[in-house]
Amino acid sequence: MSAVEQAKVTVDGREVEVPKGTGLVETAAAAGIEIPVFCYEPRLGPAVGACRMCLVEVEGIPKLQAGCTLTAQDGMVVHTAQSSAKAAEGQNATLEFILVNHPLDCPVCDKGGECPLQDLTFKYGPGQTRMTFPKRTFDKPIPISPAIALDRERCILCYRCTRFSSDVAEDGQLVARNRGAQSLIATFEDESYRAPFSGNVIELCPVGALTSTQYRFEARPWEIQNVPTICGLCPVGCNISATTREGKVKRILSRNHPEVDQGWLCDKGRFAFPHLYAGDRIVDPLERVRRRGFGELSWDDALDRAEMLLRGAQGRIVTALSGSETLEHAYALGKLLRQGLGAHSAVLAEATSSALDAFRAPLSSIADAEIVVVVGVEEVADRAPIVELWIKQARRNGADVVRLAEPKLGEELEQRVSSSDRAVLIWSGRGGGGGARLAELAHRLGLDGKPGCAAFHLPATPNGRGVADAWAAAADGEEENPEPIGLLIVSGDEAASDPAVRALAEQAEHVLAITMFQGLAVGWADLVLPGTSYLERDGSFFNLEGRVQRLRRTVIPPVPDELAWIAKLAERFGVELSPHASTVFAELSQRLYGGMSFSDIGERASLPDRAPYSTPEPALVAPLPPAAAAPGEHFLGTLKLRRYRPLFSGSAVERVPELQFQRPAAVIELAIDDAERRQIASGETVSVRSNGTVLALRASINGALAAGTVRIAEEHAADLHRDVEVVKA
Amino acid sequence: MSTLYDEIQELRSLYPVSRSATLPALRLAQERHGWLSPEAFREVAAALDETPAYCMAVASFYDMYHLKPVGRHLVEVCTNISCALVGAQQVLEAFQDELGIHAGETTEDGEVTLRTVECAGGCGWGTVVAVDHRYRERLTAGDVRAIVEELRGS
Amino acid sequence: MAAEQFVVLAGAEAGSLTKLADYRAAGGFEALAKARTMEPAQVVQEILDSGLRGRGGAFFPTGRKASFLAQGTGKPTYLVVNADESEPGTFKDREIMFTVPHRLIEGCLITAHAIGCDKVFIYIRGEYLHEFEVIKAALEEVHGADMLGGVTIVLHRGAGAYICGEETALLESLEGKRGQPRTKPPFPAVAGLYASPSLINNVETIATVPKIIELGAKEYAKIGVPPDSSGTRVFSLSGNVANGGNYELPMGVTLRELIYDVGGGIPNGRQLKAVIPGGSSVPVLTADQIDVPLDATSMAEAGSMLGSGAIIVIDDRCCMVQLGLRVAQFYMHESCGKCTPCREGTRWMVQILESIEAGTAAQSDLDLLLDVCDRILGKCLCPLGDAAAMPVASYIAKFRAEFQEHLESGCPMHGESSLENVLAPVDQHTHDPVAQVPA
Repeated sequence: MSAVEQAKVTVDGREVEVPKGTGLVETAAAAGIEIPVFCYEPRLGPAVGACRMCLVEVEGIPKLQAGCTLTAQDGMVVHTAQSSAKAAEGQNATLEFILVNHPLDCPVCDKGGECPLQDLTFKYGPGQTRMTFPKRTFDKPIPISPAIALDRERCILCYRCTRFSSDVAEDGQLVARNRGAQSLIATFEDESYRAPFSGNVIELCPVGALTSTQYRFEARPWEIQNVPTICGLCPVGCNISATTREGKVKRILSRNHPEVDQGWLCDKGRFAFPHLYAGDRIVDPLERVRRRGFGELSWDDALDRAEMLLRGAQGRIVTALSGSETLEHAYALGKLLRQGLGAHSAVLAEATSSALDAFRAPLSSIADAEIVVVVGVEEVADRAPIVELWIKQARRNGADVVRLAEPKLGEELEQRVSSSDRAVLIWSGRGGGGGARLAELAHRLGLDGKPGCAAFHLPATPNGRGVADAWAAAADGEEENPEPIGLLIVSGDEAASDPAVRALAEQAEHVLAITMFQGLAVGWADLVLPGTSYLERDGSFFNLEGRVQRLRRTVIPPVPDELAWIAKLAERFGVELSPHASTVFAELSQRLYGGMSFSDIGERASLPDRAPYSTPEPALVAPLPPAAAAPGEHFLGTLKLRRYRPLFSGSAVERVPELQFQRPAAVIELAIDDAERRQIASGETVSVRSNGTVLALRASINGALAAGTVRIAEEHAADLHRDVEVVKA
Repeated sequence: MSTLYDEIQELRSLYPVSRSATLPALRLAQERHGWLSPEAFREVAAALDETPAYCMAVASFYDMYHLKPVGRHLVEVCTNISCALVGAQQVLEAFQDELGIHAGETTEDGEVTLRTVECAGGCGWGTVVAVDHRYRERLTAGDVRAIVEELRGS
Repeated sequence: MAAEQFVVLAGAEAGSLTKLADYRAAGGFEALAKARTMEPAQVVQEILDSGLRGRGGAFFPTGRKASFLAQGTGKPTYLVVNADESEPGTFKDREIMFTVPHRLIEGCLITAHAIGCDKVFIYIRGEYLHEFEVIKAALEEVHGADMLGGVTIVLHRGAGAYICGEETALLESLEGKRGQPRTKPPFPAVAGLYASPSLINNVETIATVPKIIELGAKEYAKIGVPPDSSGTRVFSLSGNVANGGNYELPMGVTLRELIYDVGGGIPNGRQLKAVIPGGSSVPVLTADQIDVPLDATSMAEAGSMLGSGAIIVIDDRCCMVQLGLRVAQFYMHESCGKCTPCREGTRWMVQILESIEAGTAAQSDLDLLLDVCDRILGKCLCPLGDAAAMPVASYIAKFRAEFQEHLESGCPMHGESSLENVLAPVDQHTHDPVAQVPA
């Protein structure tokens, strides 16, 4: 392996050696020297040198240079404000010019105390203003979306936000308008900035121009604690910090794991935390009283009741897992039920498999690919949003991105992939067997053994594989399929919302549910135990890369952690179980992760090496059969319905006012040809029927949709069957 | 008559990267709609495969795109140095008097928009006034009435 | 001046040569035929040896600029003609385009041959509608006569933005974006239009190329003031002068000759007060500096620049504070808004100058204005900031007493100045109801 060419650079008299081509800002940082910046942000693309904050003197060049646009060259001698009066004057001038039209809002500005403009003005700027004329003013703040407020007076026009919108998220919605001193940031016709990654501009903004409406006036930086943890809403597991004040979560920030999320978050992960404080959160155990009533009971009584239900089922127990449990919860449940009661049956919304372990790679490897093939009809942004950003980056870096509905690549594409050293396959859809099908394809195309090649399966649940593996590791024993089901245990909100689980519940004699919110299982479960959120748990998740990441309890939940009462119940059945996540992890880690401990995981978890390829085995946890498909009569000219779960759906999102505008409208997506044949135009109301159900929905033409199929978001599809008829209303 | 969409597709084909068609596409849309209304932006955006926000951001950067309705006729008086030195302000004031509006405004009947512009590129032949993008040069205040009558008659 | 001294406007002494037949009758397109028999590298060498320098304002040696083009990138090379002429006082490219449009085209084709490019873009300012039509007609003639030789010339109209005359901003605009300059490096010669090697040249520069090929580099180089200011320039003369217009003259002609001999002197019995010798972006000269020859070295020694070759004559009816204000208003209006010092600084300059003119400013405000100019100078992303700061600083330096008098007792012209109350575009209703920005 050839060595990277080094460059010796002198910054303020300090010599430092860095790889040639390293950015000068990073080079100076390596020498322990700060070059102040505003517009410079490498994740947004090549440096623009717009704000002029980073002016430095470079020997041999008469004019001051924008340091952020320079790269380390051997023999370069640089003087920053520390050792150059000219550079100091230049930086001082930049700050004076920024402040000339900047309002004195600090006392009422959320950014105060964590504001780069404040900090840099202290270090490099003028202490007094010389501006005596009227500053430019705007109406302020204006909501550019329910989640984000824009204050144009504070804006220093660093263009980070507009560059993010056009060059990273590629949504093209947040733009600069006008020219010169009349420039301002805007959306089109004051429409909301409606895109899955909009919230990142809040963190990008170096001043208080773009702020979170949720966080407005909520706290000052010296009153808060930032607890490092992992987002538990999708299988990426972005590294986050939960900002807490007085025991409540106030906001979520990115913690930047360069291999996983690169410092970006999706709006769901960023803004969904208020679900912790929803009005219908269950805080006490509830038991069914008479036919439809529910009454609270104490924990002791609840555990007694639970014990009764468990024993009464005589081993005919099935556990429906959400896939959003921590590894520790799943393992603990598994130990209790499998060791304590011999109840080995569990179901999960999806199949899981270890087959892709042979193609393991960090998500960041997508950005380095030269060919990316995405297979499946589910939008990547709905399943694992950050992966979509990685794919976009790959494309910007010159990769070809091919999206296919089916894993039929064709000869030419297969050739291309198998001969490439940097090929990535991504499965985003159903029927993937938890990655088994993709693994077979990847193996056939020879991706194993090539470090630059990778394959990713995008699961539908945040921790599905982890949960299945942890359940399986909890004991040895064969799965039976008890009929009839004596007790169905419904673990988690997702399982409680799943129509397939509901269908199972109808057949079960009794149901014990663990959920966070009232609206879900209360009404058809016999006993409901209150659940916790990922933000309230110590534990771990296994993400789609195969990385085990550590969750930290950010706030104390209003209800006991699941491990606490599972441990208590386990005792009653002679099973030894610790209520402490670290101990439980240590135990399950012996069987699954080579004895890794919590402290081994670290702040930014690393990815284990690839496993050797082996032919996929059937999963140890059975996938749930999907909700009943239509047998019987077919209408002529029916279309296949593809339900999909939009990113902005689920019990958490439903309880966050600022996210309601991102939820999908009641829309049916049609392919161009199908719409034309039915003379349906975009925006028209149409009637969608299947076997007794009739719905009115708005039509939307989707050019990428295959003829013969339609797409409707889960929450708008009611109980439509798979074959539907669509006519003009 | 071809649609705006078709015309824009033709423009796009002239360039190695089709986004280059943005400025001429906006000009076409403005000619058809009279000004760049939100509807015009949506149309251009669809034809260019860009967002309306992008089209608006680009249009708002340039002086020749109108993001507000304008009159059927556009009168632009250069008041930069060379023309100012030879009486551009007097020419402007004559137009303001004849039309009954201030620079930047449109006559009530929607016929004429008057505005000042920066150097039009006729400096030695000042004062330069562009009437519907055709240059009239060496103008003095005394020439203004005839021009306004000409506009009113057309 | 002898007819054979005409280079760019040669053949058009009697009238415009807008017909292909007329242009050919005057010898047009012979240079192209000759160039096409030469090796591309030879043609570049000719241009280099001629001493031709960019006529847009930067005055960079054209042959050298062409030699910077990156080779072997696998990407096409583009020639981009900067016809975005917007520098106040300048209208020579306009005259060239409506007088000898085929010469511009011929220059494009010769240059394209020299740099190995088959796609040429002419970016013409949107306001030049007539010139656009003339060039378009000329292109159609050339195309019809099958003379393009496989080169495509795309005529692209701008939409009203002075900053798009800056070469990287022009490229951004040509790519369909807001016309904001790019940081350099990378230079356009390496990554220009569509990230491909590109050569951007001014209209007059390209229109000079055919004559260079015709006369030969050595002969051309003798004209004017070799070695640094060879050749002719089409000088734009305007302001308080009898015969405003475009005059092609060899470099080295003095301001006095241009203003009085060619330009007919100051009308209305007024006195010369000041001269802006190279477009609004250059420092002003006083009336006693007009014996300066118009060549690069002499102008530098006099403390100014050749700039765009636009000479604005200012008589004693003009208040220099008002001139400074009007100039600052221009740059404030045209600032693209990308970099802090220009965006905020030009507006601040306008505010201070307004207060000086209104008589409400104090001594400290004048010092502040000079400091603001100094804080803009050398710190911006592109030359526009300097183009605002340098001239205004020069008005203060050269007419300090007048500025002082404003501070002490108000404008000494008492409402009689030629620039009195001139309305600038920044002060009229903006087209955007969202941004109410008080100047």
